[in-house]
Amino acid sequence: MGAVLFLISFAGGNVIDFGQSIPKKIMGWESAGRDMVYDRKTLFDYLDGGAEVYLAFDFKQVFVRKFKGPAKGELALDIYDMGSPEEAYGIFSCDRQDPEAGIGQESEYGLGLLRFRQGRYFVSITASDDEQKAEKTILELGKVVAAKLGPPGASPALLQCLPETGLKKNRTSYFHGPVNLNNRFFVASENILNLDKQTDCAFAEYALNEKETGNLLLVRYPDEGRAQAAYQSFCKSYLPEAMQTGTAQTENLKWTMARLRKNYVAIVFESPSKEHAERLHSAVRYPQK
Amino acid sequence: MRSVFTPPSDIPKNEVSMKQTLTRRDFIRGTTLAVLGTTVGFSQESAAPLKKSRVIVIRHPDALDENSQFNEKVIQQMLDEAVMKLLDQNDPVAAFRRLVKPEDIVGIKSNVWSYLPTPPEVEKAIKRRLLDAGVKEENIGIDDHTVRTNLIFVKSTALINTRPLRTHYLAGMSGCIKNYIMFDISQPAHHPDNCADLGSLFNLPQVKGKTRLNILCALTPQFHGRGPHNFSRRYVWNYKGLIVGQDPVAVDTIGLRLIMAKRRKELGPAQELPPVPKHIQIADTKYGLGTSDINKIELIKLGWSDGIMI
Repeated sequence: MGAVLFLISFAGGNVIDFGQSIPKKIMGWESAGRDMVYDRKTLFDYLDGGAEVYLAFDFKQVFVRKFKGPAKGELALDIYDMGSPEEAYGIFSCDRQDPEAGIGQESEYGLGLLRFRQGRYFVSITASDDEQKAEKTILELGKVVAAKLGPPGASPALLQCLPETGLKKNRTSYFHGPVNLNNRFFVASENILNLDKQTDCAFAEYALNEKETGNLLLVRYPDEGRAQAAYQSFCKSYLPEAMQTGTAQTENLKWTMARLRKNYVAIVFESPSKEHAERLHSAVRYPQK
Repeated sequence: MRSVFTPPSDIPKNEVSMKQTLTRRDFIRGTTLAVLGTTVGFSQESAAPLKKSRVIVIRHPDALDENSQFNEKVIQQMLDEAVMKLLDQNDPVAAFRRLVKPEDIVGIKSNVWSYLPTPPEVEKAIKRRLLDAGVKEENIGIDDHTVRTNLIFVKSTALINTRPLRTHYLAGMSGCIKNYIMFDISQPAHHPDNCADLGSLFNLPQVKGKTRLNILCALTPQFHGRGPHNFSRRYVWNYKGLIVGQDPVAVDTIGLRLIMAKRRKELGPAQELPPVPKHIQIADTKYGLGTSDINKIELIKLGWSDGIMI
């Protein structure tokens, strides 16, 4: 814990300002204990098992404040400086499943957990127990915090490549590394797509018709050589019967189809038909250059 | 005589390569468990003459009350019955005397994760039986984050390993194997490759050869994680069970099967597995810590059977 930065001694970085600008009392809940700031080296001290999920992005620092309730219970306010709006979108988008809460640029709320993004910040407010009693305070605190985070920011440019028809926007994720892919959509126990911080990935779900869905993974590699190697690695591990075509009907009678184009690898998973998979592939809007 | 678990030497190592890639297609084929080194069907009545790792799953409908508060008396009863069955004893104190000697210095390695800690009622139940077995109170310690410097743990001659069962973003599952991560100076050092080498923790000098009992608390297990802290009460359920054994790999293997069964039911077959908990199999195949092969585990189920899932 020696490397943990206590707010009072923290120098540099904008998250220190939140200690002053965010109220210490809200709806009967009061700040408890010292505000804390964790960086890339100390995040392990705060997140048990979740640190790698953040470190796979361009995470800079997180400001943490705990609140105690009037009776019992605790709220944890975390404000993550993700370095850019694109990265804030990324961490928000990888773990999304609850209804929109109308806070910040994009948000969701479900049983004691508020998550939202605003500009380069990603925020989570978590209740440790008695979630229903804490709900109003969580949402109010979220609104107050969102107002302190500056203007909204852009979404990742890679998302512009995704076909629009049928796209479930609230089920679209952006990330870089295999830990995020496997928490979002398990593909393989080993890193068969050779993902790392230099790769940009978009994973999107599509409503192909009223009943059927499909999934598209689009990966942008730093160069064509890495894309080609990753494509071959994927086919070898996942579609060994289709090394030449990159297309196979899997055991659930659905189709997986991988395509290589310049420095991009696109894979349609579990499409109900070969035609649907082809249609989705052909609708990917690759950059002209 | 003390009963210290030793991996059965007549069990051949799993033939599955440690680096064998498990893919989504293994889920689709329904062969996930086979690739993980386990088989789908239990065979408790198997005639195979192999010595098996015994694991007790014990459940009680009153382990938690209507307000989800732990029932200390019932939990003590569950622990007693589990340990008696595990060691073929008719008395809980006699059973614990098989695990520890009065002169032992015993560390109870607990878990203090704020959202889902080891219940104090479980810690008390263990401590009570250690005292009954003759261990001096001053020679019993309960700790998590400071085990490396806690004098009881530094001098310990025996360890009892207990923690709640839950999923984990990186390791896939947090069980008895992962619970020893605080014995190492660096926790992040164990994170590469989805925490594949957690089994090495059991070779640390402070730990090696000392573990007498593993108690995986499945009273309120967590089968899925959300948010930065990987916790949402939506994914915690009142299973009201304990998974008890001397082989930490076998105990975690049963815990994993429970998590997978719950995920299959609640989240669907496509999300049966959290990120692959490869460390469990590797603790078997690379570190020889125990067995992850379900055919080499003698699973004994005691008590309440509604919704047992495994």
